[in-house]
Amino acid sequence: MSVAWQFYISTVLIYLGVDVIAGWGLNLQFGVAGLVNFAYIVFQAAGAYTAAVLTLGPATKDGFQQYVGGAHWPFPLPILAAGVVGGLLAALVGGFAIRRLRSDYEAMVMLVVSLIATSVATNQSGLVNGSNGLDLVPKPLATMVNLSPIGYQWLFVGITAAICVCVYWLVHIVTSSPLGRTLRAVRDNEQAAAALGKNVTGLRMLAFVLGGAIAGVSGAILVEFISAWSPGSWLYPETFVYFTAVIVGGSGNNLGVMVGALLVPVAFLEATRFIPQFGPPGLIDALQWIIVGVLALVFLWFWPRGVIPERRRRFPRAGQGGADGGARPAPTGLRSGA
Amino acid sequence: MSEPGRPLLTVRDLHRQFGGVRAVNGASFEVPVGRITGLIGPNGAGKSTVLNVIAGAIKPTSGEIAYQEQDITGLPSYKLARRGIIRTFQLSSEFAALTVLENLLVAAPAQRGEALWQAALGKRYWRPQERAMVERARELLARFDMSAKEDEYAGNLSGGQKRLLELMRGLMAGPALLLLDEPMAGVNPSLARRIEQHLLDLCNEGLTMFMIEHELAVVERLCDPVIVMAQGRVIAQGTMADVRADREVLDAYLIG
Repeated sequence: MSVAWQFYISTVLIYLGVDVIAGWGLNLQFGVAGLVNFAYIVFQAAGAYTAAVLTLGPATKDGFQQYVGGAHWPFPLPILAAGVVGGLLAALVGGFAIRRLRSDYEAMVMLVVSLIATSVATNQSGLVNGSNGLDLVPKPLATMVNLSPIGYQWLFVGITAAICVCVYWLVHIVTSSPLGRTLRAVRDNEQAAAALGKNVTGLRMLAFVLGGAIAGVSGAILVEFISAWSPGSWLYPETFVYFTAVIVGGSGNNLGVMVGALLVPVAFLEATRFIPQFGPPGLIDALQWIIVGVLALVFLWFWPRGVIPERRRRFPRAGQGGADGGARPAPTGLRSGA
Repeated sequence: MSEPGRPLLTVRDLHRQFGGVRAVNGASFEVPVGRITGLIGPNGAGKSTVLNVIAGAIKPTSGEIAYQEQDITGLPSYKLARRGIIRTFQLSSEFAALTVLENLLVAAPAQRGEALWQAALGKRYWRPQERAMVERARELLARFDMSAKEDEYAGNLSGGQKRLLELMRGLMAGPALLLLDEPMAGVNPSLARRIEQHLLDLCNEGLTMFMIEHELAVVERLCDPVIVMAQGRVIAQGTMADVRADREVLDAYLIG
């Protein structure tokens, strides 16, 4: 395989890893706990920013970029810190949006949070260098390992894969345990869950904070890879790409979300690289957004449960093997409000 | 404490206003241990509000609720549920995308693996308890003749089956006081008779219940005592025979 192809494939794999992780985080919030977080991208951005400034080192007064809280932390600490910051931000935002509001209002609040965050980041140049964003973020381990550029690419693929495994473990223990069942119950009927002794606010906050932390980690990987960060890359429509990935793949199913991340942000957006340019400049980009939106609507309408639907949990009877399977139609989500 | 006839729940001078509307305007009554207490009254009498306040879904404007001789006024519903006050809903409230069995499992109290750190300990930590819960859930399913629906999504059940699920889920939660909001609303007569028999059996097994019901014949067969509300106030209480003889009750039903 030529070096150019290796570069391309390793880059796509890293993007895939980032999107899969981000998809899992959103799935925990939206697919499992029913939280409509239209500000999801903000938590990814917050993680990215955290990782960037903790890698860049302290900002100098007359340096070309201004930001707060710079430090030289060694890998993997900036990525872990990104998770912590994503989680803390989620606790903060969730504290006023989730504790008090019902889901439709909560979704509106999240959208507004997303818009405010972009405005603040763009206009406050001292915070994250305004609309120019941060650049020249050193790559993790780059000074410690002596690898060819392509060798480093594959090292980064390995790092991303390792983080994927850790995040999968986290989302899996949540979704496969009684905790996951209770979260799905809260999603399906909040009042009934509360009437059965479930601390609905606490459970929703837990899912929101975990999802926020995972989003932060995904942002950190991305910024360490592309070594740049700017508010313009984290606008609210990006959130809908992840929503579409979760919906298309299968809301509530971690494997499905993986497929969704492969199909929507990666395969689908990458495919447009290979079609010839047509129309005025920017037309293809604009069409991408339209198609992502249409895709989400089509799935919500015709296949609300996605490509790989949420698993139906069966319990083995005594003296009988536990077999999953059998796909009878589930109540469709859109109209029953699930 | 659990000797029959003593009050399990005491409601004193309960008020609840919604804006200018006095939905409950000074209700006082007791729910005795081991009986089915019926709450009847014309539409808009404040029955559902009373049940919602007892269950913690709505906070009272004023008044006091004591349960097992402890003040529980204003506690949120999940805390009341953990103390054994479990309610059912008038409209079906199933977890639609969970199976019938899972609906029951969710209700089981004090589950292992429901906290994040417990979930992180892995299946070995919570599986044994879950197996025991599954057995209990299957006993309930068998008792209510719903075993065949175990793996069905609750959202796919018929209206009557959802009523049964509502009741089973309440029982799975291990209630000391079961609050029933029209448990037979909208079901066919033969299923209604079956539900009635189930409630009678549960009462004979010692479960204390508090029930809103419109069908007076059912109330007569099941409930003692009966509390009658009209326009936010308790206008009569006693046996069904007592309240039938009450002039004010007749007026409320004829006029209200």
